Amino acid sequence: MIEVQGLTKYFGSIAALQDATFSIEAGEIVGFLGPNGAGKSTAMRILTGFFPASRGEARIDGYEVHENPLEVKRRVGYLPENVPLYDEMTVKGFLTYVARMKGVARTQQAEELDRVMEKCGLRDMGKRTLHQLSKGYRQRVGIAQALTGSPPVLILDEPTVGLDPGQIVDIRSMIKELGGDHTVLLSTHILPEVSMVCDRVIIISRGHIVAQDTMEQLTAAGGKTLEQAFMDAVASDRSSGTEETQ
Amino acid sequence: MTNTFAVCRREFASFFLTPIGYVIVGMFAAISGIAFVLSLFTFAKMSVEPTAYGFTTAPDFAETLLSPYLVFCGMLVMFLTPLITMRLLAEEKHRGTMELLLTWPLRDRDIIFGKFFAALGILITMMLVIAVHMALIGSITPFEPAVLLFGLLTVLLMGSAFISLGLFVSSVTRNQITSGTITFGISLLLYVVGNLGEKMPTANPAPPGWPEILRTFIGHAYALLRGLAMELSVDAHAGEMALGIVQPRDIAYYLLFTAFFLFLTFRAFESRNWRT
Repeated sequence: MIEVQGLTKYFGSIAALQDATFSIEAGEIVGFLGPNGAGKSTAMRILTGFFPASRGEARIDGYEVHENPLEVKRRVGYLPENVPLYDEMTVKGFLTYVARMKGVARTQQAEELDRVMEKCGLRDMGKRTLHQLSKGYRQRVGIAQALTGSPPVLILDEPTVGLDPGQIVDIRSMIKELGGDHTVLLSTHILPEVSMVCDRVIIISRGHIVAQDTMEQLTAAGGKTLEQAFMDAVASDRSSGTEETQ
Repeated sequence: MTNTFAVCRREFASFFLTPIGYVIVGMFAAISGIAFVLSLFTFAKMSVEPTAYGFTTAPDFAETLLSPYLVFCGMLVMFLTPLITMRLLAEEKHRGTMELLLTWPLRDRDIIFGKFFAALGILITMMLVIAVHMALIGSITPFEPAVLLFGLLTVLLMGSAFISLGLFVSSVTRNQITSGTITFGISLLLYVVGNLGEKMPTANPAPPGWPEILRTFIGHAYALLRGLAMELSVDAHAGEMALGIVQPRDIAYYLLFTAFFLFLTFRAFESRNWRT
């Protein structure tokens, strides 16, 4: 469903992402794991067509993201990192707007709205203005926005950040439910989250992909915990990085 | 097309979900109302004793009241459009919603035209105030509908020129204050440059002692500069049109002005593909 080949992004002379290659099968839930500033958001923003890569190519459902932006955007639901919303609108007004933007047929808009609001626990929040919402509810609206139109691919940038423990559990179980019907790529720096939600993990550090494997493979090899596997992977990148500079 | 309309609708509605729409339309109503009353008083005085104002007969209604009033409204639009346009794209970038717009299945043109028409919608709302004034006059004295029609067209064309300029500035800034200030500055600059053009002497400024070829060159360059200064001015093309004397070049001026800045806005959008 998602194929990424040698993806590289420079901001000035700084490489935010270097030669990233991975692929994700339809129906998989894959976690993007990495320290802050590792290049997770950069990779996601390229996949969603927010900005183009400096080099390399990324395909979603066979469409190259830069060459067929509309086809790609129709297939992707995206939750940006800081959950930007039109603060002056109501929850329902905003989601109606999103449905319109995503080309949901007029006759199905009401139904679609009910579906995503139900799924994200926003049923009684329709009349609330977005700027009054707590961080947790903003996050839910952001996810509802991504789900609207039922795109086959979901790209969620840190979907559980800033939520209380109860909400985290809710959102995680929601994401698990979405797998199967949807291909989900989510980013996080919370290790246990990945083991709970994802089928497969891509560990990224300083712009490089340092490991990618199923949960079992990563941890079972040598009976390591995910923490150890993560630290090892990140450390191996650090040491190879210093060798290069020497 | 439906997407353009949806963007436009949300943008227009958000003007009135926040105070800004009411403030702009309200200010326009107050200021244009006072201007209308003032020009009406002046016209009444002129009609009572036309000789005191240098007229031999009762002054022409369109020339002494309608046209100056509509041109004034056009200038008022110039002062108010930065307030309309400063938020159009700068705000989207500032609060991050640009990331939503650019990752939804929209074309650049849906976003740009949607925003442009929303701002134009605010302008038309403002012009409803002018329509009220015109209806008031119409109830007192009959006048040529063509004058009114082209007068309103003048305001609309001037407004769309300023809006396209503001939209472009908004597309290259993140901060609304910066966006509004630059738009206002450029608008005002285009206004005063016309006054400068009128004051520039027509004679070739090069000293007579200089070689002929150099003099010719400077003469042409100067004439071009002077012509530009006079023709670029935004109000130079408004006065006659507001009188109902419509010349294609005046309409073309505003349409080209608008098209040029819309074109630049498209380029600014595309720049995200190569800028790092």
